[in-house]
Amino acid sequence: MRIAICGKGGSGKSMISGALARSLARRGHTVVAVDADPNPNLGISLGVPRETVETMKPILNALLDAGHTHNDPKPLAEDLLDHYGVDAPDGIRLVATGKIERPSDACLCCGSHNTTRQFFGELADDDRVVVADLEAGLNDLIWAKPGANDVVLAVSEGSEKSVEIARRAVVVAGELGVTRIIGVANRAVSADDAARVADQLGTAEFFTVPEDPAVEHADQLGVAPMDADPASPAMVAVSELADLIVKQ
Amino acid sequence: MDEAEREARRKRREEWAAGTLARQTAVMDDLAARAASPLMWAAVRRQARSYLRHLATWQRAKGYSGIDALMDAQMSRLQEWEAQADAHLAAAGEGERRDAESRLGLRLAVMGKGGAGKTVISSTLSRLLARRGRNVLVADLDVNPGLVYSIGLGAADVSIPVEALEENEGAAYGWQLREGLLPREVVERHTVPGPDGVRVTGLGKIGEVDKSSAKRTVVAAVQVLLGFGEPEWDVIADLEAGPTTPFERYHAFSDDVIVVVGPAWRSAMTARRLLPMVGEGRSTTIVANRFRDEPDHPGLAPHVRIPFDAEVAEAERRGLSPLDECPHSPTIKAIEQVVDLFISQSRLDMEVRV
Repeated sequence: MRIAICGKGGSGKSMISGALARSLARRGHTVVAVDADPNPNLGISLGVPRETVETMKPILNALLDAGHTHNDPKPLAEDLLDHYGVDAPDGIRLVATGKIERPSDACLCCGSHNTTRQFFGELADDDRVVVADLEAGLNDLIWAKPGANDVVLAVSEGSEKSVEIARRAVVVAGELGVTRIIGVANRAVSADDAARVADQLGTAEFFTVPEDPAVEHADQLGVAPMDADPASPAMVAVSELADLIVKQ
Repeated sequence: MDEAEREARRKRREEWAAGTLARQTAVMDDLAARAASPLMWAAVRRQARSYLRHLATWQRAKGYSGIDALMDAQMSRLQEWEAQADAHLAAAGEGERRDAESRLGLRLAVMGKGGAGKTVISSTLSRLLARRGRNVLVADLDVNPGLVYSIGLGAADVSIPVEALEENEGAAYGWQLREGLLPREVVERHTVPGPDGVRVTGLGKIGEVDKSSAKRTVVAAVQVLLGFGEPEWDVIADLEAGPTTPFERYHAFSDDVIVVVGPAWRSAMTARRLLPMVGEGRSTTIVANRFRDEPDHPGLAPHVRIPFDAEVAEAERRGLSPLDECPHSPTIKAIEQVVDLFISQSRLDMEVRV
């Protein structure tokens, strides 16, 4: 199974990706966590030490450093996972696709976005779960190109801007042929708040993660909410979300 | 892609780049033809410097090495305009020169992690500058919807309209600004009037898998901002979350950059990653947003602090402008401080920074 998590910047994609990956791993699934953000930071939410998150080499950067060019044979996703992944808690393997380190005159089409597509596309999904935390916004969803057998989470917090981007993500995922699109209201302050998001997203499956000071506190420290307080309301909710996703 | 195809593509890109140099010349000619005052000569000088700075990045990137000679010639011409403007400003005398430079508007780009508050700051800052009697252009450089809500335009479409664009095979996304249309004409004719008289423009938005309506506006938006040399106009751009658009130099037009940082550790990590992307000697101002009692992030001492503000969160929830909904909130007061910081800064500082 492959799960792509998308939404506006700051909506809580990484928090949900990290906690979801941990929950699934604790249920015995083999989990690969893919950080597709050119500003990689998923490791924080997974419980990888901050220093490792800051220094880990994403695939694209590692290949460029090794002098790889587009004329060389394409490395296999499995090999990349072995070589450039890092271990995260609960047996999760974390890999980042690319990181932007300095300005350039180029675009990313041949870089991080394409690496994401190739990587997300090639990781076999039969006996493990791939959790991909996408770059903020809609562009990376189109690049990652999830399909009929994949799950897309459209994450939104309560602001109109965030809901509008998640709503568009639902449309885009539908056009890509994704049949299982789950709307997620994150940081919901009330049932009304969540109901408004659910109404605007209009997905068949919908899930609510409540606002949670424990998550905010963990974020501020740069540690995983799942380690800081696994019994906090948001962490309990994401564990239930994990159950919902794998129950079929 | 085979070798011949790659070569043909490189040629098309270089032809596009050569066309871009000709457009720079048209902008410079237009400014210089109207230069009858120290203010306009200050504008000529700033525009020449802005293009020079941009061309230097092209030369470093070596993306257009086939037109090296053309670029060298263009740089010489721009340096001539700069020297000509210098001479006029020197002849006007120290007081006149200072006055002219202090009247040049801002060229400001806003960056940060998603959710940091870039859009609320950009849109409110634009309106507050306009309320102080300044001409303001604000550009939403994000292919995801956002700025229109925070500035108070609801779900309006402010993207550069297709009649201001043309297809070009060598341009990065296959489209660019229409030939013969000056950036200032785009601002006059093809931007949307917003609250307080702010002119609003921006990229098309992604709403479906086919993202062509967003892509075709990207090169044109950069061309408009980079070539809009009118002196008494502030130009503010709200960039997409994260490092991708700074990497692609959407902020090429800017002299100053605001990096917005929230209380979360990863927001600080993002800000630290953004600082080296600012580039080319631009000034960087750190604005801390949504802090309660958390300490400042090490190495990111803020110039202005915007506190956590429940009223702003409520306006954002409803998709309305915080400036309309809670004009007396602490956020608006803090953004007034950002205005003060930028318009009290002597524009003479720019000589050192640019």
